Amino acid sequence: MSVQDFALAAEVAARRRWGATAALLALVALLCVLSLGIGPVRLSPLAVIEALFGGGSDVAQVIVREIRLPRTILAFAIGGILGLSGAALQGLLRNPLASPSLFGAPQSAAFGAVLVIALGLADVRSYALPVVAIIAAFGSVFALLAIAGRNAGLLILILAGLAISSFAGAATALVMNLSSNPFVVLEIAFWLLGSLEDRSFQHVALALPFIIAGAAILLSQASAFRALTLGEEAAQSLGVDVGRLRLFVITGVALGVGGAVAVTGTIGFIGLVAPHLMRPVIGHDPARLLVPSALTGSALLLAADIAVRIIPSTSDIKVGVLTSIIGVPFFLYLIMRERRALGGGVA
Amino acid sequence: MRMRRLHELSSPLPLAGEGALFSRGRYLASSCLALMLSLIVWLASAAPSFAAGPRIVSMNVCSDQLVLSLADPDQIIGLSRFSRDAWQSWAAEKARNFPRLSGEAEDVLLLRPDLVVVSLFDKRATRDLLKAHGLHLVEFTVPRTLDEVKDQIRAMGDVVQHPDRAEAEIARLDAAIARARAAASTHHYRVLPLERRGFVAGDGSLVSSLLAATGLSNAAGELGVGAGGFASLEAIVKLRPDFILVSEAGDRAEDDGRAFLLHPALERFYPQSKRIVLPERLTVCGGVMLADALDRLTEELQRVTR
Repeated sequence: MSVQDFALAAEVAARRRWGATAALLALVALLCVLSLGIGPVRLSPLAVIEALFGGGSDVAQVIVREIRLPRTILAFAIGGILGLSGAALQGLLRNPLASPSLFGAPQSAAFGAVLVIALGLADVRSYALPVVAIIAAFGSVFALLAIAGRNAGLLILILAGLAISSFAGAATALVMNLSSNPFVVLEIAFWLLGSLEDRSFQHVALALPFIIAGAAILLSQASAFRALTLGEEAAQSLGVDVGRLRLFVITGVALGVGGAVAVTGTIGFIGLVAPHLMRPVIGHDPARLLVPSALTGSALLLAADIAVRIIPSTSDIKVGVLTSIIGVPFFLYLIMRERRALGGGVA
Repeated sequence: MRMRRLHELSSPLPLAGEGALFSRGRYLASSCLALMLSLIVWLASAAPSFAAGPRIVSMNVCSDQLVLSLADPDQIIGLSRFSRDAWQSWAAEKARNFPRLSGEAEDVLLLRPDLVVVSLFDKRATRDLLKAHGLHLVEFTVPRTLDEVKDQIRAMGDVVQHPDRAEAEIARLDAAIARARAAASTHHYRVLPLERRGFVAGDGSLVSSLLAATGLSNAAGELGVGAGGFASLEAIVKLRPDFILVSEAGDRAEDDGRAFLLHPALERFYPQSKRIVLPERLTVCGGVMLADALDRLTEELQRVTR
């Protein structure tokens, strides 16, 4: 291949990346508009737009601006941070099965939040919730990486993640039993399923600062992920402090996932699915994968949250249930594809 | 039926089928007849053997309150698990003077009461076990109207063998109904009884009867929730009832169910000055406390319409 051919190929690839990112942005924008337009009360698109900018009846204004808008913002932000966290973890561990939910991070964050709710320590709309959730998420990812070691194979990571999720689940159930609030079991059971319903700007204010901080930390490590694809030693020779990188990624994921879980409950598998959807289009460069994965995550959660409002049902479907129903088969498919690597660990 | 009864069913994590639990109310409402039949059977078989009135165990927080207000203290040998819960029971304070049961059959069998008062909401297995061991059970249903409540007070008066006290309580309730009617506003305000998570008590509920007695109408009918069900925040905002009826004031959300009632969209149209507050302990059971509930409702109505 001549130098000219190579440059041309690179240009084509770059154009494709920019094209894909622009298409994703358009898709996310479209889904945001749809999300604002859909709800139990039928409003015409015109009425929605009018209400959004402060016109129309006060009822329509409240419905669009105080009920639907926070929901849309949360779906966008939380889907984004989950997609980004997945891409970052996959970049850090050079492992396509890495994702927050397989590592037990949302489950642990949920344990932290449930601890606060069940023991009645604070109002559910106070900062105590995300802070405790973030600490729990940090602890779980830190423990997982410490247990699995530096160059852990797929199998070890998945097993350790499974153990941590199970532990967090059991601890959550135990805390529920200790509660004096008679409704707590029901409330938490629903909450754990993950939902964006009836959230308000109070919830946006609660989650968004942490999500933005987490996203900033993860995005700042982009070049380190790229260096890491050459192997840990090569990355170190390029000036990447791998130990520090790990700590940054764990902190970023914990901030994002903890903040998200504190207001929506556990929403899984978006972090796993989003980077995989983007890899065929963007390529395998983990640095370039970050933003498209985040956008894909946003699109996935916005779409799932629209779907739960459209699918006819007697009681509301939880969005976390929907993402798991789509995510788990996808995970199984990935395991099938990675069977050789996994099998190697056993043999 | 109401959310608060869920934990009385002592089920494991109710992950799904919330609605199913709520719809049990309708089946219960039709069993007044069963109560009457079991009463007759009991009166015919066991009545003559009690000297100072039967020794009674109550296994439901609603029957606890009826027993406490009608029976002699020495007749009461055990009350339900939730009898001292001030949130559910209007007579929680009084209940502290009496033994509290586990809710299982074992301690009831040990006590060997002359009579066990239960609700048809209580666990069927426990009730069947007690019956199989030869205990006399009086099963109470859940009343839906003020007249049914009066029937229950009268029935409990007969059970504890103090019909005179029952008549006095019924007279007190009648007086409260008359006061409510006298104070009722000529304007038929639409009131939406709203509970945690957006549960709305429908047309056939006791709360509806209380509203009707005060000259108010239950706006739940316009939401199409039937006997009761969940309403979305958007639908409530669109409905725009004149007032909402909630069980507690204050702005602390100890969980998401309560946070629903404090959502900014709801608070915008229904600040505290548009919320009729009626504590659950006054409305969750049909009993003598409804006289207090009506007085309270009248006061609250005057507050919010002022």
